[in-house]
Parts: sequence; structure tokens; C-alpha cells
Amino acid sequence: MGKAGRHPVSGQREGDAVSRRPVPAPEQLPRLIPADGPLNFARHIDRYGPVPFRGYGDPRDWRRGVTDMLITTVERSGLTGRGGAGFPAGKKMRSVADRQGRRSGFFGSPAGSVVVANGVESEPASGKDAVLLNRAPHLVLDGIQLAAEAVGAPEAYLCVASEDERLTQRLAAAVSERERAGLNQVPVEVMPVYGSYVASEESALVNYLNEGPALPVFVPPRPFERGVRGRPTLVNNVETLAHIALIARYGPTWFAAIGTPDAPGSALVTIGGCVQRPGVYEIPLGMRMGDLIRLAGGLAERAQAILAGGYFGGWMALPDAMDAPVSGPALRKLGAGLGSGIIVVLPESACGLAETARVVRYLGTQSAGQCGPCVNGVPAIADVLEHITWKRADERSIRWASRLLPLVEGRGACHFPNGPVAMARSALRVFGGDLRYHQRHGPCPGVRHRPVLPVPQAARPPGEQETARGGGRPPVVLGTK
Amino acid sequence: MSHILRVNPIRCDAHGVCADLLPELIELDPWGYPVIESDRMPDALLPHARRAVAACPTLALLLERERRRAGA
Amino acid sequence: MTSVASAGGAGVIVITSSSPIWYITRATGLVSIVLLTGTMALGLLSAVRFDAATWPRYITGALHRNLSFVALVFLGLHIITAVADSYTPISLPDVVIPFISSYRPFWLGLGSIAFDLMIALIITSLVRTRLGYRSWRLVHWGVYLCWPVAVIHGLGIGTDTRTRWVLSLTCACVALVVGLIIWRLAQGWPSNAGVRAASALTLAIVLLVSGVWLANGPLQPGWAKRAGTPSPASVKGTP
Repeated sequence: MGKAGRHPVSGQREGDAVSRRPVPAPEQLPRLIPADGPLNFARHIDRYGPVPFRGYGDPRDWRRGVTDMLITTVERSGLTGRGGAGFPAGKKMRSVADRQGRRSGFFGSPAGSVVVANGVESEPASGKDAVLLNRAPHLVLDGIQLAAEAVGAPEAYLCVASEDERLTQRLAAAVSERERAGLNQVPVEVMPVYGSYVASEESALVNYLNEGPALPVFVPPRPFERGVRGRPTLVNNVETLAHIALIARYGPTWFAAIGTPDAPGSALVTIGGCVQRPGVYEIPLGMRMGDLIRLAGGLAERAQAILAGGYFGGWMALPDAMDAPVSGPALRKLGAGLGSGIIVVLPESACGLAETARVVRYLGTQSAGQCGPCVNGVPAIADVLEHITWKRADERSIRWASRLLPLVEGRGACHFPNGPVAMARSALRVFGGDLRYHQRHGPCPGVRHRPVLPVPQAARPPGEQETARGGGRPPVVLGTK
Repeated sequence: MSHILRVNPIRCDAHGVCADLLPELIELDPWGYPVIESDRMPDALLPHARRAVAACPTLALLLERERRRAGA
Repeated sequence: MTSVASAGGAGVIVITSSSPIWYITRATGLVSIVLLTGTMALGLLSAVRFDAATWPRYITGALHRNLSFVALVFLGLHIITAVADSYTPISLPDVVIPFISSYRPFWLGLGSIAFDLMIALIITSLVRTRLGYRSWRLVHWGVYLCWPVAVIHGLGIGTDTRTRWVLSLTCACVALVVGLIIWRLAQGWPSNAGVRAASALTLAIVLLVSGVWLANGPLQPGWAKRAGTPSPASVKGTP
């Protein structure tokens, strides 16, 4: 199979050029989201061709071994995860691939790995995964097939938020279409995930697929070691998989031709706040923040700060932030981050402390409630922030806030409490001027501004069966260069 | 071979027995949950640590051999 | 020397030799109940997180463990003397297999059940760190069966039940454990309200039924025969 003849599914001969379609210019954007509307199956095949399997083994028969070529290719491309953690994608694939074939548990028999595509996107301010799954689902599905071949997984799951039933149906239909055309080497099950903010955390998803609740579990072992049914599991954001689908066709050099050395390639960002055209855009990593804002139509009013990285990122003060390169490593050095590509611009007329307090209060309700330091600590941070913002910003409260933050940071089973801590810390730093105003005069007029950062109104705590993610998502407007 | 003391925050129920038995390394936060002072364990405290691990009512305190940081 | 068993009336005359073994069995049985009660009380104190300046948390746990071993020693003596005593036809299999004895089979059987449970509890607790928390906890719930079964065994099989001081002692033990169980159920209310309410109801029912049984059973004359004490003739013939 795949040794001397043609690949059983893709029909490719070993050694063939991976893609017979013309390779697009590397600088041409967007890469992932088609500029001319959603791509259905036929148009996808027309534009990209069949899935470029390596042909070194059918993952349904995982004993044949792992295909190393794609993993090396992804490693050379420098692709990092687009789900927020930014872990090198190739390295993750390799850790899973190295473990496939091991016994799952003491009494288990040797088994293959599992691929889980994470499209749940439970951050309220993020919209990129929804856009990707609506406009270019087959790129994601290609990526799933390629990743499964690479890590030796005989099955895969595509997890999406349960509220969008139409999307779930469309994706299931897309999977069936590919099955009929013989394009799927491994079966893909589309899983609607009921849950909340923490449901899209890696270990929570695996827990959910293991017939448990969508709540994080104690790691180690991490999913790449023991995940779904005890098997090595690769959990990737859907955007990461879409990039893999392109890297497999056009190569790592093409991928890294844009971006920066430590953050290569393009990425989807969701920009919101006081810009003229909020929405999802695809940008080359390392793009200047000011240029991104211009891409989104420029500022709608005068702005004071930028939240980069969503509710797990941090604030940056303007006007300095305008020169910040939009990439994970660069933004992290500036005390923020890119996370899953969320940028929100805060107008001068709003109050950064009030926004932060509101978000931390929301996050407090989203704690899985399993760990004391989180379920107690995050609401305690919200308490002190609310006190500072709407009551009195006295020395004692500010000191208590700084003592409180390291008590909450890193003491949960998952990274969830680190988000509100980082946001609060950066707020106290960046909005120092506001803090002094609040100390002297009490709440500033900005606290009465309507909320800029989306916070679901009827947010329900985790463990309840339905997700309640109310409004606040930015409209899906796609920009191109 | 050095050991690492960790707490499983999901299983921990703030009984506080560990802080009683190993006050050199474990303190309680304002809500009664353990804050482990340092990752390293001096060998002299090892028997006390083992006792604390056995005494935890929910088996949330873990004493592990230090292992190389795995990826992901 | 003959003596009339304290629970016996006109029906059966139990002939005892001057062997002290029978007295040791009864005495160690009572002590076991007291020690088991103490162990259970300490376990409940741990669950309600009892803490005082002179009584830090870890003492409860350590004492609970050590007391359970002492209880096991006395229980062992109780069982060994009961088997060794040539008078009552209690043999070794009766110790672990319930209801097969010819001596007050039901009430002795309860003792066997309590003993089996206790062995399971102790073994799982010894290997707790290797067993894993969930499995250990599942078995440990068995204490809510083990202790009442042991008490009922004592009341039903004991020949001293009608003595005032034995009755008072048993009642004190029951009162202590029931009081602590109520404390445990009340603490943290209304979380898990359904389970707590069901447990409280079960507790009430068990107490009521036991009380009624006690009043109409062991405390009434003629209990020894009704409990299944074999007549002297059959005793002699028992292997």
C-alpha cells in the first residue's frame, strides 16, 4: 500500500508533486478564508485538489506505522497552535505519533491515536473559528485527515459549539460528502459540545469525549499521552489544522514566507471595539497593530488602550501599542499576548477598570468550580476590582488586589484562573492613571459607558447542559488586503 | 533523586491536614487551600511529606519523583 | 456449676462450665462495640472537619486509624474465644460466612457480615494510596452498614442485653454516632439536599425499627429461644 503503486484513496503516486494546482503567491492574503464566499466541496476540490496524503500507510491500519514526512514538514514550517497556547504544532504531532501503538491502560490492547479538532471557541470576543468553519470547512477537514495519517489515528472528532445547530448539520453534511467521494481516510464525527467557557479547554474536551462532563481534569497525563479512551490524542484548534492542510500542499517555505521568524505564517484575528469595521481578518503575523486597525477601517473614536489576547491576554496602552507587532511572542513581551487572536480597542470614553471588572466577574461564573483557589479566587478578584471601580479605590483595596493575584495564579487544575489574573494585573498597570483618578475622585464618567468587551448576559455556570453565550460576538465581516 | 510535592486542586477539599503536618512547606490561603512553598523537597522533610500524603483525607497531596518536563 | 443465662427464662437452661472463655467472648464483644463506636465517631469528626486549639486536624485521622487497629485486636479475641469455646457450636467458617451457624444463626450471621466488612475496610485503607481514592471511598461507605450491623449483632446475640449497664452503654454508643451523623448531614446543607434528606430518613427509620425490635425482642423474656439458641441436647451433639 503506497509503496510501489498508487495511494488507495488519493490516487497519488509516491514521489508525485504534492499539488498539481498552481501555488498561490505567499504574500497573497487571505490564505484560509476564500475572498469570494464560502467554498463548498466542489469548489474546494477545484481550488485545492485532493487531500495530499503522504501514502505511507492507512491510519485505519495503524500498525503500518506513522508517516513522518508531514510531521517534519510541519515542524520546519514553524506553525504554532492557533487555539491560544501557541505550542509548536509539529512538536505536538510528534509527541502523539511517538506514542501511538502503546497500550491504552493496564488491560488495554495496543491501539492507535485520536485526532480532535477544537472548533468550540467559547471566548465571547472570538469569532474566527466560526468564520473558518462556515467559509472553508473543507480545509479544516483536509487538515484533520492529514493529521490523522501523520499520527496514526484511525478516528477523529470535530468539536463545535452546540448552539449553532445549522453549522453542526452543515459540517456533518460536508463530512458525508467527502466520505462518498472517497476523500476521507478516517471517519470524522462531528460532536456538538454543550458547555461553557472551560468546555473548549483541551482536557475538558477529551473528558467530554470520554463520556464525562466538559470539565478540565488534572494533568498530567496530558491528552497527548492519555486522552480519548486512554489513547494518545492530538487536540488542535481548527485554524491550526487548516494551516496544516495548506502546508501539506504548498510546503513549509511558502508558509513561512510571511510572518516573522518566531511567528511564521498568517493568522486569523478577531478585532472589535471602537474600529469602523470590526470582524475577522486574516493577517500576516508580525503586522503592525496600527496597520491592522487601518485594515479594520481605522478608529471610530479616540482610543486609550488595546486588549490583546482576549480574556487571557492583557491590556496595552495607546499610543505605544500602535507600533506593537501582532504576534504571540511580540505581544507577550509587551505584557499581553495574542491568544486565539482577539484584539479589542478601548475608546477613551470608556473605563478600562470597569471593563476589566465586568469581564472578571463574568469569568468568575465560568469557573468549572472544581478547584478552591479558582472558584474562590476569581470572584474575589472581581470583588476587589468592582470595589475599586465603583466604590473606593483606596490603598487597602489596591494592596489586597496585588496580594490576591499571585494566590490565584497557577493554582487551578487548568489555566483558566490565569486569564483573569493576567487581565487584572495588566489593567492595574496600564490604567494606573485611572486608578489615581478613582482614588481621588471616585468612579470616573467612563464607568457608565456601555460595555465594550462582550460579556454574555445570561451566562450560566458550567455543568449545565446548555451553553448560554449571549450576544456580543463581532459581526462576521471579512477583510482582505 | 529529588522529589516534588504537588496538590491535585480538583481533589483537594481544604481539609488542611497537610498544612498541619508539613508547615515548613505548606501554608493555607485565605480559603483554606494549600499553597506549596517550594517545588524542591529537602531530604530531611521526606518522611514528614510521606506522612502528610498518607494523611490527606482525599489523597490530593502527591509526592512525585521529579521527571523531565514532557512537551505540550 | 450451672447458671441460668441472663436472657433465659423458663425455656432453656444454659449450662456453662467454669471456663472463663465465654465471659471473655462477651466482654471483648462489648469492648469491640465501644472501640468501633469510637472509631466511627472519629471518622465522622474528620468528615465534619472538627478542629480545636487543643485538637488539630491530623489527630482525628491518626487516632481513627490507630483505634481501628485496637478494635480489630479485641474483635479478634472476641472471635477466637467464641470459636474456641467448646460449648457454643460456633466454628471457623461461621466467622466469615453468615447464617450457617447453628447457634442463633441470624444474629451470629450479622456478626460475620460486620467482620467481613471490617476486614475489607481495613485492607483497603492500608493500601489506600495504591488503590486510588474513588475505590477506597466506595468501600469505606461500608462503615455505615458495618457499625449498625455490629450493634444489632451484639443486642441480638448478646446474653447480657437485658442488663441495665450493657443497655445504657449500647444506647450511649448509638447516641454518640447518631448525633455525629446528624451533624455531618446538617453541615453543608443544602448542598446535595436529596442525598442528605434520604440519609436522614433512612437513619430515622433504622432507629425506629431497631427500637421497636429491641423492646419486643431481646428485652422480652424468652428471647434466647426465639434467637435460635440450640437446646442442650442438640448442643452436645454438635461437632
